[in-house]
Amino acid sequence: MNNKEQMLRDIGILCFTVVELSLYLDTHPNDRNAIEYFNHYNRIKTQMEREFSKNYYPLKLDYADSNQEWRWGAAPLPWEGVCG
Amino acid sequence: MQDYKFDEHCEQFPVAMAYVPWQRFNGIYEDLEKAYRIGTIFPELNKPFTGGRCVQ
Repeated sequence: MNNKEQMLRDIGILCFTVVELSLYLDTHPNDRNAIEYFNHYNRIKTQMEREFSKNYYPLKLDYADSNQEWRWGAAPLPWEGVCG
Repeated sequence: MQDYKFDEHCEQFPVAMAYVPWQRFNGIYEDLEKAYRIGTIFPELNKPFTGGRCVQ
């Protein structure tokens, strides 16, 4: 598994973790502890997404801004069987 | 037949109603990859189905 695939996998796992924490926080909005966990993992996830978007292709439109070239279309399309 | 210990704590609730205890936060799995495979980051919610033939 090369760096690109590893990063994609890690971002996916972080997304999963952030969603799990948000589901818990939906029913426990005042739980400071859980909020800190959420902030922590959400920051790491965003940072990794930015880094991935800089190195390979933007994962979200938010990360598509670039001073070189427009890379938003560079992402592989879902039916191209890349996101295995 | 075994006599299940009557929990006086439940006395205040009407009968024939189901109750789900409230989840408390006490940390999550250290290894997120493992949590991802299990399907939850909360150890207390890790309840794999262990009955019957479809267990690896």
